[in-house]
Amino acid sequence: MAGVLVIEDDDRIRRSLVLALEDEGYTVRGSATAEEGLTAHRTDPADAVLVDLMLPGIDGFECVRQLRRDGDATIVVVSAREDTHDIVAALEAGADDYLVKPVAIKELSARLRAVRRRNRGAPVTTPTIVVGDLEVRPDAGEVRLRGELVALTRTEFLLLCELASHAGQVLSRTQLLARVWEYEFGDERLVDVHVGRLRQKIEDEPASPRRLVTVRGLGYKLIR
Amino acid sequence: MSPTPPARSPHRPKSTVDRGGAGRPPAPRRPAEAQGGPATGQRKSGTAPPPATATRWQATAHRVAGAALTAVRRRGRGLLMWLTGRRGLTRAWQRSGLRTRVAATVALGALLLSAIMATLSYQLIRNSLLAERQRTAVRTAFYDAAVVRPRLAGPATDRVQVLSLLDTGQGRRPVLYDAGVRYALTTDVGAESDIPTTLREMVHNGQAGAQRVRTATGPAIVVGIPLSDTTEYYEIVSLREAEATLDLVGLVLGLVAAGTTIAGAGLGWSAAGRALRPLKSVAAAARGIAAGDLTARLDTGTDPELTQLASSFNDMVDQLQQRIERDRRFAADVSHELRSPLQTLSAAATVLHNRRDHLDRRTAVAADLVVEEVGRFQRLVSDLIAIARADAELQWSSVDIAALAREQCRVRGADARIVTISGPSTWWADARRVEQIIGNLVENAQRHGGGAVAVRLSREGRKSVIEVDDAGPGVLPEERDLIFSPFVRGRSAASRGDTEGAGLGLAIVARLAHSHAGQVRVLDRPGGGARFRVELGTRPAGGDA
Repeated sequence: MAGVLVIEDDDRIRRSLVLALEDEGYTVRGSATAEEGLTAHRTDPADAVLVDLMLPGIDGFECVRQLRRDGDATIVVVSAREDTHDIVAALEAGADDYLVKPVAIKELSARLRAVRRRNRGAPVTTPTIVVGDLEVRPDAGEVRLRGELVALTRTEFLLLCELASHAGQVLSRTQLLARVWEYEFGDERLVDVHVGRLRQKIEDEPASPRRLVTVRGLGYKLIR
Repeated sequence: MSPTPPARSPHRPKSTVDRGGAGRPPAPRRPAEAQGGPATGQRKSGTAPPPATATRWQATAHRVAGAALTAVRRRGRGLLMWLTGRRGLTRAWQRSGLRTRVAATVALGALLLSAIMATLSYQLIRNSLLAERQRTAVRTAFYDAAVVRPRLAGPATDRVQVLSLLDTGQGRRPVLYDAGVRYALTTDVGAESDIPTTLREMVHNGQAGAQRVRTATGPAIVVGIPLSDTTEYYEIVSLREAEATLDLVGLVLGLVAAGTTIAGAGLGWSAAGRALRPLKSVAAAARGIAAGDLTARLDTGTDPELTQLASSFNDMVDQLQQRIERDRRFAADVSHELRSPLQTLSAAATVLHNRRDHLDRRTAVAADLVVEEVGRFQRLVSDLIAIARADAELQWSSVDIAALAREQCRVRGADARIVTISGPSTWWADARRVEQIIGNLVENAQRHGGGAVAVRLSREGRKSVIEVDDAGPGVLPEERDLIFSPFVRGRSAASRGDTEGAGLGLAIVARLAHSHAGQVRVLDRPGGGARFRVELGTRPAGGDA
């Protein structure tokens, strides 16, 4: 396992995060700029990348977008900004999670562990699930829409697996957070943004979804 | 103004000398009816003129006015004291609302104006009608007198027969006095007294005259014409028809006045409503702004009088918005600047904490202190940021409120089963604020109130209610407002030397509740302990969306 990459321009924060995460047992590298971090990640991909939003040169959002394009590493944004539009923008750029500084190392570590668990133990036992013209193969990590392969990130894939294995049922945001992210509690916007991204890929008209629908006040449902 | 119009006295009209009428061929008349016994003309001298004869309408008006005057006189003192002393009417007047007041004022004005107009019109019509009738009566009387006079030549002539020659019909009653003896066509006794003494005297002295009188059969005009030294001819002309006309006119004018009053009230009401419409839009905009919608502006419109109000209002909101924006940016900057070093401190403190066993005793104690203080500092900063952000715009969404409350209980170490909900399970609210409110209240109960024992979620009318009960000593009445101020800790916290919280938890709850169009209060829980009650302006999710 290549470990964790910390992209953070504040020297003291980066050093302290590297120290603390190493103490938690991770292999950690640090980069002061997005360019440096992206290069490091391309040469030796990390399992998880922590990204600050306010970076010199390429900013955090763009950095997240490029990381996402490069692969399905877990991307966690760690930022001092906690405005909703920043959070949503970061998640839409492709981040899997968003944490507001100051982050307790225990919490960060718990989230990274959850990600690692997810990456290691995918729901391989489940056979192929067919929901309408959507075909989900958890064992192969494949999703096909009308036979066409759909490229999903890991989080999107897990989210779709969860919804597909309960097709026709409503899953609340809290349930999805617990089952997909393995968070006991967390930001429900995480779910909303990832559902939105998933819709971009599996819906013909993402603005008026017909497969993955919102059940007002309750949660989300994949139409059988 | 007096309700009784000054009646022009009809007494003693100038004698009319209109003897120009040629004799009208007297039509054969029905035979005279039995004639009343000849009565001697009474000549009471020195009597005062009879009181002004009033029409029926005037009499009624007199009575009403008299009664009103008496009532006012009787109650005047009390009324005055009531008005000036207790200001009850003034208060009621102010309470009644501007629109009602305008409508009432316009109605009153319309009533006064139409009453004056009606009275004047009535008076005018009455005078001209009666004058006209009197002229006609005098003319007819002279005409009849001209018919009667030549037929009274001999003493043997039957006076009554002569009278019966006249075409008097129903409305006129001829009376003849000859040498003090009264001749008439009817037996009615009243006719005797119908002719006023003063008129008798005048005619007796050789002067013709007319006078309005009230007879047993209604108002009438008596015209007296001297025929010779000993003979006087009178004609009593009934005014009943004119009276009926006047009654009708009075009724119509009264109805018109009433209608005008009602129309005035309606007009006032609608005009006031129209005039107040801009105020309503101002109120709506102000409400919107108070609820956090700083984009609300007034349409400056085309009405020059309202443009000024609207533009000053909009200027005020602009200033307010700028100021809030400035504050918000400052708070965001401060929070950002505080968060970065805190991140370093937090991570470094964790490292210190993890390696505590490798440190010597003194360094370990110092490290513990650093770690604890960093933790406290971190909570303080996040609380301060929460307060600073409490005024930010609300983010409305549907919230699974029971799940959210249970989660907060779990996180804060309380039993999630204490959460109960009545009413809709999802609220339309700002999830983060509601979450923080419940979290802080549960936290407060856990830390200072001997543990949370109940979290109740309910809807009361348009308000969403959150109640958190604890098993602690409760809050002293004098501390109930104080505990919601920043950096204030209750007596129990102080006595325990609790330094965990910065004393901002409840202040944040108060701020958040306020920003969510609500409020927080602390009450006694029946059976001991405190009950924190938060009322929020939310609505059931999907209620009217």
